[in-house]
Amino acid sequence: MSSKSDPIGRRRFMQMTGGTLLAASAGDALLGCATSAPRPGGTAEGVGYFARFGVTEAMIAETLGAALSRGGDYADVYFQHRVSNDLALEDGAVNRAFATVELGVGVRVVKGDQTGYGYTEDLSVEAMKACAQTAAAVADGPSNAAPQRFHVGGRLPQRYPLRLRWEEIRPEQKLPLLAGVNEKVFGADPRVKKVNVHFRDESGAVLVADSQGRIVEDLQPMTLLYVSCLAEQGGRREQGGYNVAGRAGFEFYSDDRVARVVREAVARTTILFEAASPPAGEMPVVLAAGSSGILLHEAIGHGMEADFNRKNVSIYADKIGKPVARPFVNIVDDATNEGARGAINVDDEGNDAGTTNLVVNGVLATYLHDSISARHYGVAPTGNGRRQGYQFAPMPRMRATYMLPGPHKKEEIIASVKRGIYCENFTNGQVHIGAGDFTFYVKNGRMIEDGKLTRPIKDVNIIGNGPKVLEKIDMVSDDLQIDEGGWTCGKDGQSIPVSQGLPTVRVSALTVGGRGKA
Amino acid sequence: MSDDLLTRAAHDAVELALRKGAKEAAGGAYRAREVEVQWRDGKLERISEATTRGLGLELYVDGRYSSVSTSDLRPEAVQRFVADAVATTRAIAPDPFRALPDPALYRGQEKVDLDLVDPGYGELDAGARRRIAQELEEAARSVEGGGAILSVTTGFGDSLTESVRVHSNGFEGHRRSTDFGMSAQVSVKDPDGRRPEDWDSATGHHFRPLPPPAEVGRAAARRALGRVGSRKGESALLTMVVENRSAGRLLGQLLGPLAAASLQQKRSYLEGKLGQKVTSALLDLADDPVVPRGMGSRLFDSEGIAARRFPLFEAGVLRSYYVDNYYGRKLGMAPTTRGMSNLAWKLGDKGRDALLADVKEGIFVTGFLGGNSNATTGDFSVGVQGFRIRGGQLAEPVGEMNVSGNHLELWPRLVAVGGDPYPYSAARTPTLAFEGVQFAGV
Repeated sequence: MSSKSDPIGRRRFMQMTGGTLLAASAGDALLGCATSAPRPGGTAEGVGYFARFGVTEAMIAETLGAALSRGGDYADVYFQHRVSNDLALEDGAVNRAFATVELGVGVRVVKGDQTGYGYTEDLSVEAMKACAQTAAAVADGPSNAAPQRFHVGGRLPQRYPLRLRWEEIRPEQKLPLLAGVNEKVFGADPRVKKVNVHFRDESGAVLVADSQGRIVEDLQPMTLLYVSCLAEQGGRREQGGYNVAGRAGFEFYSDDRVARVVREAVARTTILFEAASPPAGEMPVVLAAGSSGILLHEAIGHGMEADFNRKNVSIYADKIGKPVARPFVNIVDDATNEGARGAINVDDEGNDAGTTNLVVNGVLATYLHDSISARHYGVAPTGNGRRQGYQFAPMPRMRATYMLPGPHKKEEIIASVKRGIYCENFTNGQVHIGAGDFTFYVKNGRMIEDGKLTRPIKDVNIIGNGPKVLEKIDMVSDDLQIDEGGWTCGKDGQSIPVSQGLPTVRVSALTVGGRGKA
Repeated sequence: MSDDLLTRAAHDAVELALRKGAKEAAGGAYRAREVEVQWRDGKLERISEATTRGLGLELYVDGRYSSVSTSDLRPEAVQRFVADAVATTRAIAPDPFRALPDPALYRGQEKVDLDLVDPGYGELDAGARRRIAQELEEAARSVEGGGAILSVTTGFGDSLTESVRVHSNGFEGHRRSTDFGMSAQVSVKDPDGRRPEDWDSATGHHFRPLPPPAEVGRAAARRALGRVGSRKGESALLTMVVENRSAGRLLGQLLGPLAAASLQQKRSYLEGKLGQKVTSALLDLADDPVVPRGMGSRLFDSEGIAARRFPLFEAGVLRSYYVDNYYGRKLGMAPTTRGMSNLAWKLGDKGRDALLADVKEGIFVTGFLGGNSNATTGDFSVGVQGFRIRGGQLAEPVGEMNVSGNHLELWPRLVAVGGDPYPYSAARTPTLAFEGVQFAGV
């Protein structure tokens, strides 16, 4: 196990969830007493879901008392139970299953903007207090008081209503989904030679309780279907695929959605036989509606996370209130898109999560805050405090990041480009927060020549500089789409699910990492 | 949990799996203690400390396979977890290629002390860790031009990891290692409004051989200051020299497609290339698991197979794939090992500066940004930053550029291998130079 000090873990990147997912499942017995209510009722007892593990308010109060025993300003506990089940199809059969159960608790103590953190898989009061005392060492002063009673706030919104809960779906019911996709992908094109299907479902809950006496629980489902195919033509091979993800139950897999997965996986793979690398150099780039939102994630999203600005290391650190883009550019980070992979009912610090305006009419409006940065800036938290799991302290993170519709039409945008590229599908991206340089990798696209979409292109990285690129967004269409893919964002060694979206957009110039002369 | 308890937990898990209906099983138990301190701009930023544990099982049930893990170790929960996992396994399709490795592959472990545990582990207290983190920052700020520094974040961490692996057909393996790591990340002000950053770090299984923190702090600051004034260069075909610590990214795109899983799934541009010349004759590379204190060292791999050195490339000729037990059976190939341990290179005799002098004109790449490589075709396209090489020396910094090509065309153009392996990674990559690489910029 490498040390967590390795700076590799500090990079900011994003990628499609691959086919090599680790596992999942556990069982109905473990979850048999789960209820579908999004949170427990009543104020006397705020522990609902986690009561099955013997967790009580008294234990939490005792833990928070230990956490504040050395003068921390603020403390919270974060309980997590996550059960993931994976099934994978290879060479025609669902012949491997994976299951992962994560159960643990993290205790955080905050003093100013300093953080102490400890965690354990042992939910006994002794183990939790030991963690709390470890975390308490970030402060060094007289004890502060912890709450003895907890209050449940107003009802949480329900942004991931489930019709078919994963705890009630047996493996036998899921198998036909994978087998059906396999059969349809093979049936769609004789050039397909290998098909991999990976399916995942997650269920479970988190509980956050803090030293202000707040307590909240949220049940957090997730599912993902990833299809990869390999095709051969005239001695050449190409691989491609498609995937869908969301906070939903088994009802997510409608006939329409499954048909789209099959169609897109085959189309995105077989088009590659006609595709070539585009030229190298600067040229106009048109981003298709949907997953092109990766541009926003890298070009502005990370740079607007308030921790980087509080630390004075983001290229956006002194730009709030200043114009950064044309007046028709509006960018949000949104927790409220029902069923989206990046949707949350509440953040991982127990704060309300809504819609945060990053750019309003071209002016930089608000950073993405967690509790620490919100106090630092004297503003309300924006519900962006998120974490991968109980082993990690929260930090400002994106949810679903997208641009609102603009005044142009897709057709006029494409017609406006004499020579450039049109980007349709992406696999990953990365950014340097301070310099602002970012990249995203285009798997499928087309050349634009004399205002028309022409030959397909593939496998090309695009590189730009965040603030410069925002200035160069000179056309925005009215066709916003939030992508349905399984995007995962990495920051400081923590991976979390996110969503992104974009209407069709023109960037007047970006560096295209192709081959040959422009 | 002592080693005895871990051993018992692994054996108990395997026995439980057999009792619940598995024909064969592999079980692993681990425990890790991890402590980390992060320091920023004159004060503590974060401390974290935890002892974490977990249990994993691979189940072979009625010719079917599953792999499961849990951190919920309450006895009644483990009972239910394993019973459910066996039931799920029964529901999926049989796979005739799934079985534990042939026990003959477990035998013949090297009789080497890998020396992965620092006997002094546990001597560092919270104060000592903070002093190291503080020293990293102070050194960073002390360099010439340090007035342009906007922020310095440093860190120090150490861990003790113990694991035991047990197979029902006669394997038991123990592993114990300590790890220490320090890092510094520096952001500086560029007059054009950007805030470039860079980092340096050092890691190892033993504490004492690590370089002085001040050296790491200064290196991070000099690197970050070196980024000031970075510009996008022109699109051109140029010689690319890749710094040793960054070369692992490129090398990973060459070694990834050597996995048997990629071959069997037809997703490898190196399929069918065994015995053929794939790279320039300068590439001579072996997988070497039994290096004392090596970052990837092991006596057995993640399937219990006894670890041995084997050649990957000899004078540019591909000699072996990474073949694990399962895909080896599917392909009818003898297993080598599931994945990379340490790499042993045939090194050149020149350091970075001498290589730059030889190259005269080109780009020295100090970092990659994003990008990807298509394992099926070998096509790649990745972002880069670094410095222009002019007259055999580093000249102005360049960034926001990209390199692209195909690995089957790139590696034959490897024209120099440095004598300077990066010591803090298992790949131990030296500086590498390639001719005629497509750079995209202005």
